[in-house]
Amino acid sequence: MFEYEFMQRAFWAGGLIGFIAPILGVYLMLRRQVLMADTLSHVSLAGVALGSIMKLNPVLSGFAVAIIGALLVEQLRRSYRTYSEVPVAIIMTSGLALAVVLMSLRMNLSKTFSSYLFGSIVAVSNIQLWMMAGVCLIGLTFFFVLRRPLYNLAFDEETASIGGVQVKGLSFAFAILTGMTVASAMPIVGVLLVSALIVLPAALALRVARNFAAAIVIAIITGLTGIFSGLTASYQWNTPPGGTIALILLLFLLTGISAKKLISLYNRKRHRAVKQQQTATLYIHSKSNT
Amino acid sequence: MILSSMRDVVFGYGKEPVIDQLSLDIHVGEFVGITGPNGSAKTTMLKLLLGLLKPWSGSVHMNTEQLRGKKLEIGYVPQQVASFNSGFPSTVLELVRSGCYHKLGLFRRFTLDKEAIVERSLREVGMWEYRHARVGELSGGQKQRICIARALAGQPEVLVLDEPTTGMDRRSREGFYDLMRHYADVHGLTIIMVTHGLEEVGNRLDRTITLERQESEEWQCLSTNSCNVLSGLED
Repeated sequence: MFEYEFMQRAFWAGGLIGFIAPILGVYLMLRRQVLMADTLSHVSLAGVALGSIMKLNPVLSGFAVAIIGALLVEQLRRSYRTYSEVPVAIIMTSGLALAVVLMSLRMNLSKTFSSYLFGSIVAVSNIQLWMMAGVCLIGLTFFFVLRRPLYNLAFDEETASIGGVQVKGLSFAFAILTGMTVASAMPIVGVLLVSALIVLPAALALRVARNFAAAIVIAIITGLTGIFSGLTASYQWNTPPGGTIALILLLFLLTGISAKKLISLYNRKRHRAVKQQQTATLYIHSKSNT
Repeated sequence: MILSSMRDVVFGYGKEPVIDQLSLDIHVGEFVGITGPNGSAKTTMLKLLLGLLKPWSGSVHMNTEQLRGKKLEIGYVPQQVASFNSGFPSTVLELVRSGCYHKLGLFRRFTLDKEAIVERSLREVGMWEYRHARVGELSGGQKQRICIARALAGQPEVLVLDEPTTGMDRRSREGFYDLMRHYADVHGLTIIMVTHGLEEVGNRLDRTITLERQESEEWQCLSTNSCNVLSGLED
């Protein structure tokens, strides 16, 4: 399949996004902002529609609108401290409503939209690939350089603020990066499943990892494996890439959770057996002494 | 030397103030206990002191600029911190080490000196044996202890603790109060601690600040169904 240029591009794009999206997912989950990825993908879709109507590059307009949406979510999150999921719902609904209305204004957009909604290997253009490479580079630099303040921010915002972390600035920068990642991941997995790519590897990693670095590594490995195997399966069976990748990631998550449960069950049984053996030995010793 | 002062501070969450005309000074090296009934705005007062909340009127000043010629380091253990996300993927050691991050900046590596401080902090709260455990596997009291160790690992000059002994057994609480007295005496640490167990802390405190609801306002609270808690001070 690698003789086709579009498959090479799809694997490059998948590799880049599969690296950055799961790291982002770990932080989003720890900050309880899981739905942000879903929200921004809907907002980005409105941007794509707006770009098409205004005769702009829809990729770039989707990208720009996703960043604006991310900044809005962060600003509203600060206003609704007690109900931090409210801004997410507001922006998600607004983004989707705007996208639907704008789409209805130009009927010939529906074909383009279906590729954004469900993802398409052939939808990955050179400009999108370069955009993904740029986002990946920026994201990796961001997460590496700011790993210490980000760890403290993910643990607790108040203590991070007292400890000298610029919470507001870092949160806005994080929101912008989220918008950029979501917008650039859209062509490969589609709007409807972009959050699967961000959340599922992170959900597995947080479930099984014992420390923070392990969580990041497990999330990346899961993300990359899911994307590469999903793209291969999608090519072989002619299924939509977004859905295939999401299903494989879901399978990984379910397998991981089951394996962890089985291991803990085994450990518990072994521990109980050792305890029983110790009690029996003690009993025999006390009998032989008397 | 005054470390922090509040002058005629008024603050509230709704229409009515929960803190009204509060004035106090905290001196360097003091071990101060803040006590009072539920809803007497103890946590609010701490947050005002730390600058996490802005008063409606009055002034709050924390001498954060200079103490022994360098920027003042503050360690803070909030009330709810021990109830953090139990899925947080971190070992006890990793979490306590993160208390030193602000001193190391973005890239400086952990020195042996810093590692020794982390170990000492964990030993002082009796959690060194659990250093490789995942934080989510600990009990509430143990989580509270590692949060305190994390604050101590940052070698603060001021330690602000909001009900730090929640979830701890009596023996651990006694040990903790002794440890705080030791830090105040030997390391010159200023400690501001909200506590309900004033009789347990006993004479280890240098000063006690008691926040009270005013009786007349209590009656008003009952009749209007709005919690109008006015705080006063007693030394």
